Amino acid sequence: MDFLLLLIATGLVSGAAYGLIAMGFALIYKSTGVVNFAQGELVMLTAYIAFSLSNTLHLSFLPLVLVTVPISMAVGLVLERVFIRPMLGEPIFAIVMATVGLAVILRGFIIIVWGSQPFNFDAGISSTVVMIGTIPFYPAQLYLIAALALVVLAMWLFLRFSRYGIAMRAVAANETAAMLVGVSVSRIHALAWMLSAGIAAIAGLLFAANFKLAPDIWFQGLRSFPAVILGGMDSVVGAAAGGLIIGVIENLSQGYVGEGMREIAGFIVIILVLMVRPFGLYGSRDIERV
Amino acid sequence: MLALSNLQVFYDKSIEAVRDVSLEVPAGRIVALLGSNGAGKSTILKAISGVLSQEDGAISSGAIHLEGDIISDKSPRAIIERGLLQVPEGRALFATLTVEENLVMGGFTRTRAEVNEGLDRIYALFPRVKERKSQIAGYLSGGEQQMVAIGRALMGRPRLLMLDEPSLGLAPQIVDAIFETIITLNRESALTVLLVEQNAQLALQVASYGYIIENGRIVLDGSAEKLAANDDVQEFYLGFSGGARKSMRDVKHYKRRKRWLS
Repeated sequence: MDFLLLLIATGLVSGAAYGLIAMGFALIYKSTGVVNFAQGELVMLTAYIAFSLSNTLHLSFLPLVLVTVPISMAVGLVLERVFIRPMLGEPIFAIVMATVGLAVILRGFIIIVWGSQPFNFDAGISSTVVMIGTIPFYPAQLYLIAALALVVLAMWLFLRFSRYGIAMRAVAANETAAMLVGVSVSRIHALAWMLSAGIAAIAGLLFAANFKLAPDIWFQGLRSFPAVILGGMDSVVGAAAGGLIIGVIENLSQGYVGEGMREIAGFIVIILVLMVRPFGLYGSRDIERV
Repeated sequence: MLALSNLQVFYDKSIEAVRDVSLEVPAGRIVALLGSNGAGKSTILKAISGVLSQEDGAISSGAIHLEGDIISDKSPRAIIERGLLQVPEGRALFATLTVEENLVMGGFTRTRAEVNEGLDRIYALFPRVKERKSQIAGYLSGGEQQMVAIGRALMGRPRLLMLDEPSLGLAPQIVDAIFETIITLNRESALTVLLVEQNAQLALQVASYGYIIENGRIVLDGSAEKLAANDDVQEFYLGFSGGARKSMRDVKHYKRRKRWLS
């Protein structure tokens, strides 16, 4: 029983990381229709930025987050302006390829700047084990789960009630109509990249704090892909749920089946889910009246 | 109030959709722009609203004036802020948003107070829309969707409203109700209207002036009564054939004349 609970608990932790990364994917996909293959690299880049900030400013965890997130948002804005905005109006596939290119550039850039050696990065979080019931947790693990919950709540409130959040959903629903009510579509795209980079920063910082800071974190972007598909590409909150589900399933299959299962379990789940619900668990079907 | 002079629009820099179109919408009037499918009506409205770029279109020559100022180089938002709004063809609601969210988006350029006041106004104008306010817009009936689409445009506080085929695909009763609303808005709130329609009979009943467009060119214009009395308009837009069946010779004669007209 304890073994099962432990598997579920650690599954939720890695699931929370998947969920945060997946939310970044979904946010950009929802408002721009582009699958951003550089999302994992964005997570890695912002983690390294947090590392450098932490080394120069010596901040504790919360101030570090408060400094890193706005800087990462600015980075997201710049990347959108330089790599994506000039492609506006090109076929979606061309833009997706541009994000693949961006991913490779960022990977190289990080090794050039920070080198290829991994770092230990505690992000100002203590490493004393906390017991919840019978399950031991590192504080960083709990921070990760709490961060997912907070980001989900913030995004839900933003998309449901704020003017720009509703505008984001409106652009996803009908771009031309959104322009006809005065929404600047390119500004919404930039906003999506900005928010996505902000979420990536939280994911990157906490992922690095939980494991280590190494130039292979980008791979978590691909690992999060099943979560995005499971939640529904265009559902930001669904992506978070998808992340948790995939995290737990991966951990259970590793615990009960064997080592290699972890890597493929998530992808098996999405194939099964897509057979039943091609738009994901929470994604929107196309509404069509005839 | 609104004037187009020698407007020419190309799609993809190669397909000419509108050529040399000049028209005028005086303040406080309802002006109709009539024509069949593909004549260029919607293109003209998109050009006025500044959203041609969405479909790779561009104004290649001519100008659009609003109260004397050129607006053809302005952003869609700047055009809206000057009081020029559009109800797009086929409603184009935000299908996944609720009715109320659609309306709130209509007031995107307005302050919060103006949005709240606007919601009350729209709900008073269309009680049906109020009943449905928390439903997903994509699941409403066509008539309800048209009301929401008009409401959404009204939320932007237009002084000139452009309607792109509001009668499209709707039952006659609902069309009547919607046209009555348009007349009421025009009379009571001094809303200027540019009405684009295929249904000429209906449009000429409410409009005071009309333009007829064919293949991207204005071929005929005049007061609504004059247009309604015109033989060609009667035959080709209003569906009167003058009683007896026509012989092919007359049809050919008309075709010659039509070519000359354009």
